[in-house]
Amino acid sequence: MNLRGRRGLAHTLNGPQELGHGPVFWVCFAAVTVAALAYPAFGSVFALSNLANFCLYVPMGLGLALLWGYNGVLSFGQSAFFAIAGYVYGVIAGNLIDVPGGSLLAVAGGLGASVLVAAVFGYFVFYGQVSGWIIPLLLLVLSLILETFMGQTAGYQWRVGSVLFGGYNGMTGIPSLQIGEWDFGGASTAFYYLVVVLTLLVYLGLRILVNSRYGHVVTAIKDDVERTRALGYNVNFIQIQVFVLAAALAGLSGVLYVSWGNYINPASMGLLSATLPVIWTAVGGRRSLLAVLLATLTLRWLADTLAVRGGEYAFLIMGVLLLATMLFFPEGIVVSLARRYGGWKAPTGAMNRSGSR
Amino acid sequence: MSLADLVSLVYQYLDNIAFLLLAALGLMIILGVVNVINLAHGELIMLGAYITTIAYHDANLPLPVCMLLSVLGVGLFGMALERFVVRRFYGDRLAALVATWGVSLILSQGALLALGPSMPSVPLPAWTLHYEGYSFGGYRLLLFAIALAAIIATWWVFYRTKFGIRTRATMQNPDMTRALGVDTRNIYLLTFGAGSALAGLTGALYAPTTTIVPLMGTQFVDVAFITVVVGGGANPIIGAIASAALLAGISTPLSSILGTFIGRIGLLIAALVIIRFLPRGISGYWQDLRYQRMARHSS
Amino acid sequence: MTNRPELTRPDGVLLRTENLVKAFGGVTAVDHLNFELPAGELRCLIGPNGAGKSTLFGLLSGLHRPDSGIILFKGEDITRLPPYQRVRRGLCQKFQTTRIYRDLTVAQNLLIAGGARSRGETNERLEWALSTLRLSEELDLRAGRLPHSHQQWLEICLTLATEPDLVLLDEPTAGMTPDETAVTARFLIDLNEHGLTVLVVEHDMAFVRLIAHRVTVLHYGRIFSYGTLEEIEANQEVRRIYLGEQ
Repeated sequence: MNLRGRRGLAHTLNGPQELGHGPVFWVCFAAVTVAALAYPAFGSVFALSNLANFCLYVPMGLGLALLWGYNGVLSFGQSAFFAIAGYVYGVIAGNLIDVPGGSLLAVAGGLGASVLVAAVFGYFVFYGQVSGWIIPLLLLVLSLILETFMGQTAGYQWRVGSVLFGGYNGMTGIPSLQIGEWDFGGASTAFYYLVVVLTLLVYLGLRILVNSRYGHVVTAIKDDVERTRALGYNVNFIQIQVFVLAAALAGLSGVLYVSWGNYINPASMGLLSATLPVIWTAVGGRRSLLAVLLATLTLRWLADTLAVRGGEYAFLIMGVLLLATMLFFPEGIVVSLARRYGGWKAPTGAMNRSGSR
Repeated sequence: MSLADLVSLVYQYLDNIAFLLLAALGLMIILGVVNVINLAHGELIMLGAYITTIAYHDANLPLPVCMLLSVLGVGLFGMALERFVVRRFYGDRLAALVATWGVSLILSQGALLALGPSMPSVPLPAWTLHYEGYSFGGYRLLLFAIALAAIIATWWVFYRTKFGIRTRATMQNPDMTRALGVDTRNIYLLTFGAGSALAGLTGALYAPTTTIVPLMGTQFVDVAFITVVVGGGANPIIGAIASAALLAGISTPLSSILGTFIGRIGLLIAALVIIRFLPRGISGYWQDLRYQRMARHSS
Repeated sequence: MTNRPELTRPDGVLLRTENLVKAFGGVTAVDHLNFELPAGELRCLIGPNGAGKSTLFGLLSGLHRPDSGIILFKGEDITRLPPYQRVRRGLCQKFQTTRIYRDLTVAQNLLIAGGARSRGETNERLEWALSTLRLSEELDLRAGRLPHSHQQWLEICLTLATEPDLVLLDEPTAGMTPDETAVTARFLIDLNEHGLTVLVVEHDMAFVRLIAHRVTVLHYGRIFSYGTLEEIEANQEVRRIYLGEQ
């Protein structure tokens, strides 16, 4: 690796900030990708729809991995950004249902709304240079307030244009994404491909990002803020950027979700939903994008299976899983395994220096 | 505005202060001394309410005794929590946050599974005061008095007992304090217990005023968290009083004119603005002012 | 913001403070300090404990805000600028305690350091420094595993990676053996001869003797004396403030 930070794509993709290097890894990666893309040929519509549902949460999980694992900022607000994007998309798409390109506008609106809220929130906390614990607390409060507010929007007066918010029952009849002739409804093959391709692009894009010089600076901020400032970086600004990116990825998941299910409710911005990305990130290992990707898919599948057989235990199990992971696998299960059997050492960085970040 | 309107407003203000103080004091003490945010705080409050409710209905004990049981029970639980969970995360505050969030889930979901979606409520002592067409609940005035008593008691422990001196020393310089032979682990354990006991007290005290459901903790934590953020951990007592007084001063007029939702959003916005300029909260700022007046700097 | 280009062109002064004041509580750490550093010098800043050296560094790098007075760097008033903007203008400080990124490799440390100001060209001075200090052989080692002296040298190289015009070094040889101190001295002299202005705070008089051209002595937040090393060493007053008064 040379000091100027200029290297080939291959080098950046295989950098030290992420799990999985070398030909064996990439061959497996390619094989899984090909299998995923070929799956519609032999999978049932139901299976495709399920798999698409699991995958669409991956951008949100990866966003939190970047934010928490690489930048050291714990966020309990990813589900809030997820749901804000979903609701705003629903409002715009529902009102522009006969307008060509309306759903694309809705996507822009949904993502834009999440980004805007994140930017405003981020301005206050990052330019105030607050201690790390303040951010998750205030985001929890934000989620609570939003959930409570949306929960009491049941009446007819709670609408924008022709779209009702729907209170606790949520917003129904959200039109799926439509681009030209293609309708990306939850049961469609088109949606499956959209999600798989987007997941792939997001993963690879983030992988390149974390191994670039920018990605190293992001990690450096987590390791030693003052040091990074003393090297000439506008740390406040960089932290807002990462926060907004994570929010945009959560919003992307949100938009995909409403396109898949045509539905969203206040519970998706509530406390229990806020926990989910944190669980995926903690269980997989927040210091590795791949670990979080695998954990997200696995835990979504687990939650789905549990929902059939004993849904009321789902969150209890999640709580136990979270506590057990923090106690016994603080680096995450996948990352711990990678350490032990693959010798991979994430540059984990110093633990919060003096507890103040 | 008539005198009666003013009295009513003052009553609401005091009521709000009491709520913020009782909801946040335990959390703040733990933050100030142990440097950890216990995200299971809401569930500790819920436990307090549940213990009171169960003791009242199933054991038919008088209400004050039930409340005492809550204080003791949740205090002991808090110490167990510190001993077996929180202690492992003293190097990593954010990890402690996540771990206690796991505990919070376990408690609330566990309560839901074990005890059902709701419990029979505890009767509210019917002490009503009437004044010029307004009626005021005497019980809630009592709560304000108890909140004041809690603050005074906390102050007394911190500044008038040996334990308090050792605790303050631990807050300022844990290494030095350990080197002087103080068992800081014990201090953390007892402080965690005390903070939890306060949470249990809050749950017990407010049990008669609300429905007893497993997720009842959430109505306390959102204001508790904001109060803690605005108050800061540098000095829990000053932080709690100043923060509660300020925030209640914002939310009381807001919610009486524009409703509870606007009141809550107003608090969140106020918190964001305040920490932008006072990132360590009011008590952190107050501490900085004090140190500027006192400090020596050697080059 | 005042800009006074005449400060660097005609008289070649890189850094100047005017009436700089910083008080902490009842103690005035820096007391109406008028300090001047011409470009191209290798200056040592000495003085007894409490003289104001670290505070001055803190004011120069932006860690502290002065109570009054201004700081002019390359003719520009930087008094109100946050630290990262001072680095971007070419003023970089090496801290007293090593603050490298311990879990990253040497190469990763340098990659980060070179980012904020990099113009994309080769930093020859940095490459020279790395090979002189043998750090170029340790690029893939974790910085936290390096011996203490190498960590100090890495930290100096990190400041070099920001392509500074002025480097502030706070006790660069703390914890070093005499041999390592000599290497550091030689290195700093070479660095200075290649055009970098260096301001060093040091307590180790042996090191000061090795490198100093000119020395500024601080006492009670003011400049007590200034001159060549010989002049300072011969000065009875300087000896007294070190050995006599508190």
